[in-house]
Formats: sequence, structure tokens, C-alpha cells
Amino acid sequence: MTPSTRADAAKRLPAPILQVKDLQTQFLTHDGIVKAVDGVTFDLYPGESLGIVGESGSGKSMTALSLLRLVPDPGKIVGGKVLFRDQDLMQISDEEIRDIRGRDIAMIFQDPQSSLNPVLQTGFQIAEAMLAHKKATKQQARQRTVELLKRVRIPAAESRVKDYPHQLSGGMRQRAMIAMGLANAPSILIADEPTTALDVTVQAQILELLADLNQELGTAIMMITHNMGVVAGLCTRVLVMYAGQIVEQGPVDQIFENPQHPYTWSLLKSIPRVDALRHERLRSIEGLAPDLLRPPKGCRFHPGCPFRVEKCLTDLPPLTEVKPNQLAACWVTMDRAKKEMGADQLLDIRPGAASGLEPGKIIP
Amino acid sequence: MAATAAAVVTRPIAPEQASLWSDAWRRLRRNRLALAGVIYLTLVVIVALVSAVWTPYSTFQVGVGIPYAAPNAHHLLGVDGLGRDTLSRLMAGAQISLIVGIGTQILVLAVGVPIGLAAGYFRGAFDQVVTFLINLFYGIPDLLVALILVFLLGPSLTNIIIAIAVTRWMDMARLVRGQTLSLREREFIEAARAAGAKPAKILFGHILPNALGPIIVQATFGVPAAILFEAFLSFLGLGVPPPTPTWGGMAAEGIVTIRISPAMVIAPSIALSLTLMAFNFLGDGLRDALDPRGRR
Repeated sequence: MTPSTRADAAKRLPAPILQVKDLQTQFLTHDGIVKAVDGVTFDLYPGESLGIVGESGSGKSMTALSLLRLVPDPGKIVGGKVLFRDQDLMQISDEEIRDIRGRDIAMIFQDPQSSLNPVLQTGFQIAEAMLAHKKATKQQARQRTVELLKRVRIPAAESRVKDYPHQLSGGMRQRAMIAMGLANAPSILIADEPTTALDVTVQAQILELLADLNQELGTAIMMITHNMGVVAGLCTRVLVMYAGQIVEQGPVDQIFENPQHPYTWSLLKSIPRVDALRHERLRSIEGLAPDLLRPPKGCRFHPGCPFRVEKCLTDLPPLTEVKPNQLAACWVTMDRAKKEMGADQLLDIRPGAASGLEPGKIIP
Repeated sequence: MAATAAAVVTRPIAPEQASLWSDAWRRLRRNRLALAGVIYLTLVVIVALVSAVWTPYSTFQVGVGIPYAAPNAHHLLGVDGLGRDTLSRLMAGAQISLIVGIGTQILVLAVGVPIGLAAGYFRGAFDQVVTFLINLFYGIPDLLVALILVFLLGPSLTNIIIAIAVTRWMDMARLVRGQTLSLREREFIEAARAAGAKPAKILFGHILPNALGPIIVQATFGVPAAILFEAFLSFLGLGVPPPTPTWGGMAAEGIVTIRISPAMVIAPSIALSLTLMAFNFLGDGLRDALDPRGRR
């Protein structure tokens, strides 16, 4: 191998471990169809940590649940592929997907208080995760449970095994959940807002733990959160979701530095900053949260977007590469908005304010 | 000053709750009526066990005393119309009552719990069928169902247990279905599914343990209901056939001659009433003890 080809190989990403293609999850409600996940496509690479951010109702949790076919009623996965180890998780049998859950792809949830069974001993629940996939004998499972609790840094792990969930603190419960998630050494760990229910110092500890485990075990982490700070702290790549669609994706550094979708730009602007000038006001995103039952025509974000142009009202922008490795679904993009509409100096962020297209009006 | 400080220091720290069950037992013991119920029922069980090997007189032997004799030193509760010792028969009657009461509930649990779990968890067509059946059985009078079944199957201990269970399974199925419907939405069930647990594991390993409190209470209340139903059937002459002594049957035999020998009616009636009360007190106590909201 010549030096130049080796350099090329290093630059090239490894084969993705999970490929999601045009995933569609819908809820059939009394009032009509809600497209909770609307054509989501992305890859997950082995050992990486990918953030999925978006506000409530953006479809980030539903995307995660869809991957494991855990969408609650009346939700249905109506289209798309999820390729994992040469099989489409959407096509395999119920038994096969059950084997994959917890063994190859594990998931931890938002509220550790309610995700642990209150009447079963914590250690028993972790051991059970192993026994469910016949990964260990009862004896081995019990032993490994203690190891796992130590690994997630629960103090006095030996004596905590027999504790019931209500005897653990919130942080310890989430650690126990993570231990359960890691019980079968999965190749992917989906974390659905794992720090939201915890207080700030514990949040930091849990994030640190996840980052370490990601490094040590090489488990790919898919971090679902509404918190940009969490993404900045843990993830290498990020997907930004809005109204069931991915509006921007790319490396975290690049997107934080130079977001190309106006929604991502607004999200980053709405984070309070310690180094902000005193007179600078915190920006909120104008307009209403999108109505998924009757999504707006064209770009989903145009009713709240200061930079909207005519085309945004009629045509849905595709996710296209705007910079190396960075994709955005926007007809304008922030580069142009900055150059032509003075986005950096913008004080008025009402919809259409910068582009002059019916400023302040919500155009459905 | 020093004394108060010492008092503060020595005040026992609330013991950590070891588990739901030890916690429930602690609270149950504090309920006097429930505790009295437990003690009385323990006594009944001991009497029933003893009567299987020893009674003062034979329970079947006629003419051990003068018919219709009032309670006396030889026959503490008197003698019945055929000259059998009432105390001996009362002791043996405890066996039937307990077997019917507990046997019925075992059947009810065996049928009602899995059906309720499956209906509540899987919902859909199966749930609709189950709900329809539950409503159907509630619509038909218990007595009618039991009478028809006893008539068809013939009166025997086993058949009576079956007949009573048929009129009682819906209570349990409906309770478990309701519990399951609410538990299945809980996050730890979703977490169990995400961990790859099989439906059977979720039903019996995760949902059932959480519904155990209400199930135990329901079963405890079901026992006296079944005992009473059996006594009623026996009183009508459709219970466990004679000469096996049952409390209901004994009361029925005595009712005709109540003016001559009231003890024949009073003894089994009091035994029956106390047993029913004890079970009901226990059920009430368990309900409070197992209710997580009443945690004190």
C-alpha cells in the first residue's frame, strides 16, 4: 500500500453499521394522518456518537423508536428501510427484531424513575437483559451484573445489586439503565433524552460516562436530545430534525460554527451564552410549532423563517450537500442569507423580515 | 437541653423499606382487625387439619348421643337429629369450607389472570371477545349458572368448586385486564420491549408482579364469597352431598328443628359468619397494606 492510498483510506469513512433510508412513520388519528417521521435518511457509523436534535414533536424520538419497531399505537411505519448487518429491520419477523433489540441495538429512556420496574430488584433486571438473549448462565449473569454496575460507576455495586429502583438516586437509576443497555455489549446504544430528567450536575456525569463508554467499548451512540449543549459535549456528528424531517446534518464542529439551515441557525441563536454582550437579546424562534396534521406547503420551516423566498412557499427543498460532509435542506442557506440579507446584523427575526417576503405574516 | 439533644439523636431512624412485601406485612400487622382475622383463620386451618385425623366423635357415626340433645359435657355443641356429634361435624365442615373457598380462587386465578393479562396487553379481537364474555357472564344470575352446572355435572366437591369458579372468574379477569391496560403504557414495559423481552416475559415477569397487590386483595375477598355460595348451595340441598358435613348443610338440617335444638343452626352459622368476617377483614387490611399510595 502506498502512503497516498493509506491517507485516502483514513479519510474515507468506514462502512455504516446502520443505514436508514426514507423512513416514514405515520399516526392515523381521528383528524387525519400525522407524519411523525417523514422520509428520514441517514447513516450511523461504527463507534461514532451521533446526535439527533429537534424540538418536541420534531420526530426525533419516533425515529429512534421506529428503528426498533417500537412505535406505539396508533403509529405505523409505512415506508423505508433500516439496514443493519445486511438485513432490513423493517422486513424481518417479530422474533428476529426481538432478538436484535437489547442484544445488538439497545435503548435507554428519558426517565430512569419510570423505566425500571418498581417491584423488581435492579440487579435482577440487568441480569434478565442478559438471560433474555441467552448470553450468559444465571451464575455468569449475576457476576457480570456487578461488573456492569462498577463499569457505570455505581458505588458499592455488590450491595446495590439487590436494591429496588426506589432505593437508588436518580443518577444511579440512569446508570443502572445504562448498565442494562450495555448488558449484551450492543453495537448501537440509542439514548432517548437520557439526561432530561436529571439535575444539571448529574447530567454532566452521565454524559461523561456515555462518552467514556463510547470510547472504551466502541459502542455507537445515537443521542436523542433537544439540548444543543449535550450534542456539543458528546457527539461528533449531528442531525437536526424539524417537523419529521432532517433539515441539516454534518460534523458537530462544522454545524455549530457555520449552520446552513435557518432553523439550525435559530436553534443555536436561542442558546443563552455566558460570553454574550449584555444588550444582546436571547432569540426565540418566531412562528408556531409546525402542525404535523396539516404541514405547510413547501419548506416546513417557511412560516417561521426570516429568510424565506418565494420558492420556499411552494417547493420542499431536498437535503443536499452544501459543504463537505454537511447537508442542509434549504433553498437559501445561511451563507447566502448572510451575504445577501445581512443575517449577522439581523435584529428583526420575524418571518420573512430579512428577505422582505410578507414580513411578520404566517403563510400557511 | 442535653436531654432533648439525646432524644433527637436516639430517635430511631425510619428503617429502609426492604421490599414491597415486608413493608406490606409491617402495615398489615398494625391493622388490628386484619390481624385478628389472620389469627382466627389460622385457628380454622388448624381445626380443619386436626379434624382430618381426629374429632371427638366420628363425624358419620349416628347415635353417638341422644338425638336433638342440647349442648352438654359430653357433646359441647349438642347432638343432631340422627344422633351425630355437632362439634365433630362442625370441625370437619371447616375442611369443606376452606377447600371450596381456596379451591375456587385457585381456579379463578388460573383462568382469570392469564385471560385478563392477554386481553389487556394484546387488545384487539381477543380483548373484544373476552370483554363480551365477561359482560355476558355478569348478565346471567350466578345462582342460575351454578344450579345448571351442578345439575349437569352432578353434585360433588369438585363440581361445586368448578360451578362457583364459573360464576366468579370474571371479577378477576376484569380486574387484571384493567391493571394490564394501564401498566402496558408504563415506560418500564416499553423499556422491557426495547430490551428484547418476549411477550410472555413481559406479561408474567413485568406486568403481573406489578398487579399482584390488587390480585391478592381480590382473591382474598373471593374466598368468603365462594364459601358463602357453597353454604347457600348446601342449604338448598345442592351442595356437597351428605353425609359429608358442611356448614351450610348442617344449618339446613337444623333449621326444621330450630325450636327444639337451636344449637344445630347456631353453631354452623356462627362458624360461617366468623370465617366470612375474618376473610373480609383480612382483605380490607391487605388492600390498605398493598396500596402504594397509603404508604406510611
